[in-house]
Amino acid sequence: MRLALRELRRRPSRFAVATVILTLIALLLMFLGGLIDGLLGSSTGAYRAQRAELIAYSPSARESLVRSRITPEVRAEVESTPGVAAVGGLGSVQLGARPGDEPTTRDLLPTALFGYELAPTGLPTTPPAAGTVVADSALRADGVREGDTLLLGPQRSPVEVVGFVDDTRYSGQSSLWGSLDTWRAVVSENRPDQAVGDTVQALVVQTDGTGTKAVADAIDAATGQRTVTLTIAAAIEALPGVAQQRATFNQIIGVTVLIALVVVALFFALITVERTALYGILKAVGASGATLFAGVVTQAVVVSLIAAGVGVAGALALDALIPPGGIPFDPTPARLASSVGLMLVAAIAGCAFSLRRVLRIDPASAIGTAS
Amino acid sequence: MRRAVVRFGLLVVAIGMLVFLILFQQALQDGLITAFVGAARNQSAPVLVYSVDGQRTLQGSVIPPPLEGAVRRVPGVGSAAVVVQGTFTVRVNDDADDSDAAILGTDDAELFSPVDISGGRRPSAAGEAVGSDVDFGVGDTVEVVAAEGSAPVTVTVVGTARDVQLNVIPTLFTDLATFTVATMAANPDAEGVLPNALAVRPAPGVSDAAVVDQINQAVPDAEALTREDAADKTPGVDQVRQSFQVIFLLYGLVVPLVTGLFFLIVTLQKAGPLTLLRAIGARPGWLARSLLLQVAVVICLGLAVGIALYFPLSQARVGGLALRFDVGVVVVWSALLLGLGLLSAVVSLRRVLRIDPIEATTGAGVA
Repeated sequence: MRLALRELRRRPSRFAVATVILTLIALLLMFLGGLIDGLLGSSTGAYRAQRAELIAYSPSARESLVRSRITPEVRAEVESTPGVAAVGGLGSVQLGARPGDEPTTRDLLPTALFGYELAPTGLPTTPPAAGTVVADSALRADGVREGDTLLLGPQRSPVEVVGFVDDTRYSGQSSLWGSLDTWRAVVSENRPDQAVGDTVQALVVQTDGTGTKAVADAIDAATGQRTVTLTIAAAIEALPGVAQQRATFNQIIGVTVLIALVVVALFFALITVERTALYGILKAVGASGATLFAGVVTQAVVVSLIAAGVGVAGALALDALIPPGGIPFDPTPARLASSVGLMLVAAIAGCAFSLRRVLRIDPASAIGTAS
Repeated sequence: MRRAVVRFGLLVVAIGMLVFLILFQQALQDGLITAFVGAARNQSAPVLVYSVDGQRTLQGSVIPPPLEGAVRRVPGVGSAAVVVQGTFTVRVNDDADDSDAAILGTDDAELFSPVDISGGRRPSAAGEAVGSDVDFGVGDTVEVVAAEGSAPVTVTVVGTARDVQLNVIPTLFTDLATFTVATMAANPDAEGVLPNALAVRPAPGVSDAAVVDQINQAVPDAEALTREDAADKTPGVDQVRQSFQVIFLLYGLVVPLVTGLFFLIVTLQKAGPLTLLRAIGARPGWLARSLLLQVAVVICLGLAVGIALYFPLSQARVGGLALRFDVGVVVVWSALLLGLGLLSAVVSLRRVLRIDPIEATTGAGVA
C-alpha cells in the first residue's frame, strides 16, 4: 500500500487524466443531485413543515390543493373520527406580490399565500391577525423585511409581514402564512374563479398516536369516502412532478455512477496490464496478490477522493455563483456526502475488474517478460 | 482491436452509456419544454396578453374587465379574444381512474386554437374540443368530474393536435361556454370566470412586435408577448435550459477525456511494438491513420450502442412526458462527439509521430 501511495506522489501525472475525468463525473453527480434537491426542496417545503401526520383532500381533487374543497360538514365528521387529535383547515393561492411602496412595479415576487389553523414548524400557534402574514425567509433575498407591506395579486390586497419562517417554499414560490380569513379575502378579491365560500382546500390532521394509516382509513370511512386522506410523505410524493422528477434523476445518477465505475475499471485495468512485469517482480520477492490488489484499490480510492473533493468544491462554488432565482441548485451536505460515497463505491467496484488479472500474474513468466 | 475485445469493449460500453445519457437527457429537455409550453407555442394567436400579476403564466394571470377594455382600446390591436385556462380532474371514456387535464377556452376559436390539426376536425359546437394527440383520440369523451352536488360536464374530442400540451398534462382546446360550465361544476363556489389572457391579432399593417410594445406602454398592468416569447419566457423554461446545458457540457467533456485517456495509455503500452514497426519501415502517417481509425471505430461503436439503448426509450413516455427520436439531434450529437473524440486523440497522435525508429535498437520506446 505504501508503494501505491508513493507512486501517486512520485508520478502524479500518470493519474492526472483519470482524476480529471472522475472530477467531472463527481461534479455531474453533485450537480444532478443538487438540482433534484433544489427542485424538490422549493416545491415541497410547505408540506414538509407540517407537524400534522395526515392531510385530507376532497376525492375529486386528485391530491391537488387548488382543486380540493372540504365543507364544514365533512370537517365535523373528520374531527369526530376516533384517533384524530386535532384538525386544521389549509388553503393556498399563488399570486404575484408587489412591495407596498411600489404598487405599479412590473417586477413581481412569485408567492403562495397559505391560510392555516394548525401551525407548521416555525409558525406561531395562533395564526397571524387578519391582514398580516409570516413570510418564507427566501423573500429576504428579495429585500422583504419585517414590517413591510406586500400587495398581492391584481387587486393589490395588502398584507403586512410580521415575521419569517425557514424552508416552507411551495411549487417553486416563496410562501406567506396567514389566517384562513386572510386567505379567503385575498382569494375572493383576486381569483373569483377559485373562491372558496366557507370551505377549506384541505384538512391537516394530528393523530393521538394511533397508527396513521389506520386513522387515515378511519377518516375516509367516517366521511363516507368524501375525503382522500394521505400521510404527509405520501402527499409530498403526490405533488405534481415530484415522484417523476425524483425517479428520472435517480436513474440518471445511477447510470452516471455506472460510468464512473467503468472509467475506473478501464483505467486501472490498463494500468495493471502495464505493470504486469512489475507485479511479477514484487510477487517474486514475496508480495501477495492481496497486497498488490490492495495497492490498486488504494490508488483508486485516493484518486476518487481527490476527484470527489474537487467536485465538492466545484459544486459549492457553483452554488455561490448561481444568482437567486436562477437554477434551483441546492447542494446539501447529505447529497454531497452521498455523492462522495457513490464515487468511492464505484472506485472500489471498478478495481474489482483488475483483481483476476493481478491474482493470475505468474512471477516467473512476468520476470521473464520484463527481462 | 479483435484481439483485445474486453479492453476496447469496456471503452465502447462507457462511451455508449454516455451517448445514451446525453440523448436521453436531450429528449427529456425537448419533451419537457414542449409539454410545458406547447399550448402557447403552437396556438394561432400571434400575441398573448397576460396581466403583469400572472408572471407570464396562463394559470397565474387574471384579466379584470377594466384591464381587458384597456387592452382592446390600444391602437394597433386588430382583434382580441378571451383565453381562459384551468386544470380539472377528468375521467376519459370509461377509465376507472381519474386523471388531470388542462382545459383552454376561448370566445374566438379563429384567433386562438391549435395551429395545425393532426386528426379529426376543429370544434363546431359547444361541448366539443381539440385534444393533445399524445393523450386523446378523436371520439374520446372527457367527463369533467364535478364537485359534490353538481352535475358532471362531458366534452367530446373531435380533433387532435400535436405538441399542444400545457404544464405537462393532457390538454383540451374548447369554447368559453364549455369552459365556464366546467369551472362552475368543479367549483360551485366560483364567483365567476375571468379571462386568464387575451389573444391578440395586430391590425393590418402593424407588426406583432409593434403591437406588443404599444400594449406594454399603454397598459401598465398588462404584459403582452409574441407567441414565441410567451413560450420561451414562461417561468421555468430558462432554468430548465440552463440546467440541461450544464449537464450537457459536463457529459460532453467526459466523452473525449475518456477516449483520450484510453488511447494515451494504449499508445504508451504499445511503445515497443510501435517503435519496431517504425524500424521495419512503417511510415508515421500510416501509424497515425491506424490510431485515428481505431478512435473512429470505437466512438462509432459507442454511438451505435448509445443510440440502440436510446431508441426504445425514445418511443416511451417518462412520467407523462412523450419522448421523441429526433434524427437531427442524434446526428448533431454524433458528429460532435466523433469530432471531440478524434480531437482527444491528438496527444496520442503526437507521441506516435515522435517515435524514433533507432530506439528499437536500444530498447527504448516512445518518448
